[in-house]
Amino acid sequence: MVRKLVFFLIAVLALSAAMSVTASAKVNITFLNSKGEIQAQLEEIAALYNEIAKDVTVEVIPCPVGQSPFEKVVSMYASGNAPTIAMVDAGDVKKFQDKALNLTGERWVQDAIPGSLDMATLEDGTVVGFPFAVEGYGLIYNKKVLDKALGKSFDPSSIRTRKDLQALFEELKNAGVAPLVISPLDWSLGAHFFSIAYAAQSPDPKQVDAFLKDLRAGKVDLQQNSIVNGLLDTFDVMRAYNIDKDDPLSGTYDRGSYLLGTGEVAMWFMGNWAWPQLGELDPEGEYGFLPVPISDNPDDYGNSQIPVGATKFLILDREQSSEAEQQAAKDFLNWLVYDAKGQDMLVNKLSIIPAFKNITLEPRDPLAKSILQYVRAGKTLQFVLDLPADHWRMVGAFMQKYLGNAISRDELLDEIENYWKNVK
Amino acid sequence: MVSEKTPFGKVGTYLLFAGPTTFAFFTVVILPFLFGVYLTLTNWNGLSATYVFVGLKNYRMVFEDRAFWSSFGLTLRYVAYTVVLTNVIAFTLAYLLTSGIRGQNFLRAGFFVPNLIGGIVLGLIWRFVFSNVLVYVGKRFGWELFLRSWLAHPDKAFWALVIVSVWQSSGYMMVIYIAGLMGIPKDLVEAATIEGATGLQRLRYVILPLLTPFTTVCIFLSLQRGFIVYDLNKALTEGGPYKSTELVAMHVYEKAFLAQQYEIGQSEAFFLFAMIVGVTLAQVYLGKRLEVEQ
Repeated sequence: MVRKLVFFLIAVLALSAAMSVTASAKVNITFLNSKGEIQAQLEEIAALYNEIAKDVTVEVIPCPVGQSPFEKVVSMYASGNAPTIAMVDAGDVKKFQDKALNLTGERWVQDAIPGSLDMATLEDGTVVGFPFAVEGYGLIYNKKVLDKALGKSFDPSSIRTRKDLQALFEELKNAGVAPLVISPLDWSLGAHFFSIAYAAQSPDPKQVDAFLKDLRAGKVDLQQNSIVNGLLDTFDVMRAYNIDKDDPLSGTYDRGSYLLGTGEVAMWFMGNWAWPQLGELDPEGEYGFLPVPISDNPDDYGNSQIPVGATKFLILDREQSSEAEQQAAKDFLNWLVYDAKGQDMLVNKLSIIPAFKNITLEPRDPLAKSILQYVRAGKTLQFVLDLPADHWRMVGAFMQKYLGNAISRDELLDEIENYWKNVK
Repeated sequence: MVSEKTPFGKVGTYLLFAGPTTFAFFTVVILPFLFGVYLTLTNWNGLSATYVFVGLKNYRMVFEDRAFWSSFGLTLRYVAYTVVLTNVIAFTLAYLLTSGIRGQNFLRAGFFVPNLIGGIVLGLIWRFVFSNVLVYVGKRFGWELFLRSWLAHPDKAFWALVIVSVWQSSGYMMVIYIAGLMGIPKDLVEAATIEGATGLQRLRYVILPLLTPFTTVCIFLSLQRGFIVYDLNKALTEGGPYKSTELVAMHVYEKAFLAQQYEIGQSEAFFLFAMIVGVTLAQVYLGKRLEVEQ
């Protein structure tokens, strides 16, 4: 009995030793994905890359819905299991500077679109992140629905002011189409909608930074700020025409994409990351972005621009990964940027707008196309990403209260001012 | 065999049987716990390579964190409702299901089942029930109560949490009460009946006193569960609408990982631990005093 057991143990040990020998010939790298909507597509790409690069295996790990990538990466580091490549939010990149590999020497640094590396460049000029995706947001419209309701081809440039938007909503309502849906998600309302008010303060990013600094110092009176009030006036208009007006806080992200994709509503406040879901419901549909107007003067900054920015960065781990793994990760990024197949995957499979000048592929997805039009026309607002980590959650909650009519505008602005005064 | 007589032999016996468990418990529970307590005295943010000792500063921040205290208050309310409701319902079910009604074994299993479903899955199922099924029913029959999703209203979302928690844990407590009820000697109950005690009197003066050890256990378990609930909170309401149902465990987690104030979150967690220990010890002590000899 004992001999049998000993023999069995030795067999197991020998087997595992043999397995680890065969495994060492291959380099395994892990890729933490925090864009849930492209998980399946990324896995396909990993499988494809695994065939091309024979001795490298890329494994894609999803970041659970509702968990921030920062939390996930921190806990993976704590368990000694750091991902070789981690996709993190732009605002978190620099927090990983102790752990992230220096990427300054990489070829793609030279090809990155100006400004796209700002969030990943340390004070001494070291680049620690790879700009993975350029994203933008605004009011997504379903052109088919608009054309049908208006009886003519809809021209997005005709909507330049709040009045125009309101008139359009009214026309849609009279035509029996629900004008829009507001998804009551804290990240959408807090990080995206309200931060338009920061971005629209000035076309100069430095002025925006200064505005945020003043907010922290408690020197800004939001009640007196015409841009903040203008944005909230537009929000009031949007609230009044919201399909979920009677129960504004119960909606979900899926409900939003479903309503727009099936044509039940004409517009949805969201960003180009919504395409995988919309495309599934309505692959041939025509969609585009409208800016969220903040005043009745068509020439005001912000009325014809939409926020666009590099929102997701990839960082490579230098602490817990071997040299070979780090090299494999760098190769994988270069493959995405410089290999024709890799570019095709990035643009067409993932529906991502790359942040690199050398990639000239035209995206097929209509939302990415619409964003590129704004980018090429120079009509972009800053996508404000340098916000405190819990800004989306806190300001999102205040906006939810306002959306649900639980607080007045004065109370909303008080809460936001207070948040900024006390933030770390 | 190892001798039990000498002190050395005793230690040897202990190590032989409980050594591995002690080692595992020490390394994965005690050590991390002590290290965690140490971290509350530093400014480590969970990620950086260096940190310095800051003394009790983090605890002062805990007292200044208003959101923590409102979450804590909400948790006390939640614990009060769930403990009372869970135990009343569990005891009632147990009493009915030991009285010999038909199909009682099947019913016992049925009431126990919710406890086998994990908090996240349970939360998602009920989320669907509250925001879709009940709303559909409400619209169909014009019931004002269900016309809007419960989860979109602060008070109703709180009650949704309470209802689901009670639904989940009363089956578990019921099993404990059933074990207790079956262990009560029949002769005592019979004697009381012969003496002319009514059903209610038997319950009040014979059964409940004899059941005290079990009640203590059940209240202890439901107290402790209530204080540290996180999964259900996360999956059912996500603290929403607008953070109005954020219980204290969720607040601690968000403070540490979302607001990225790890050191304060950790201090709040330790504070919460101390509170739970205090409350449950007091409860067990009082429970013990109420016990009677047969």
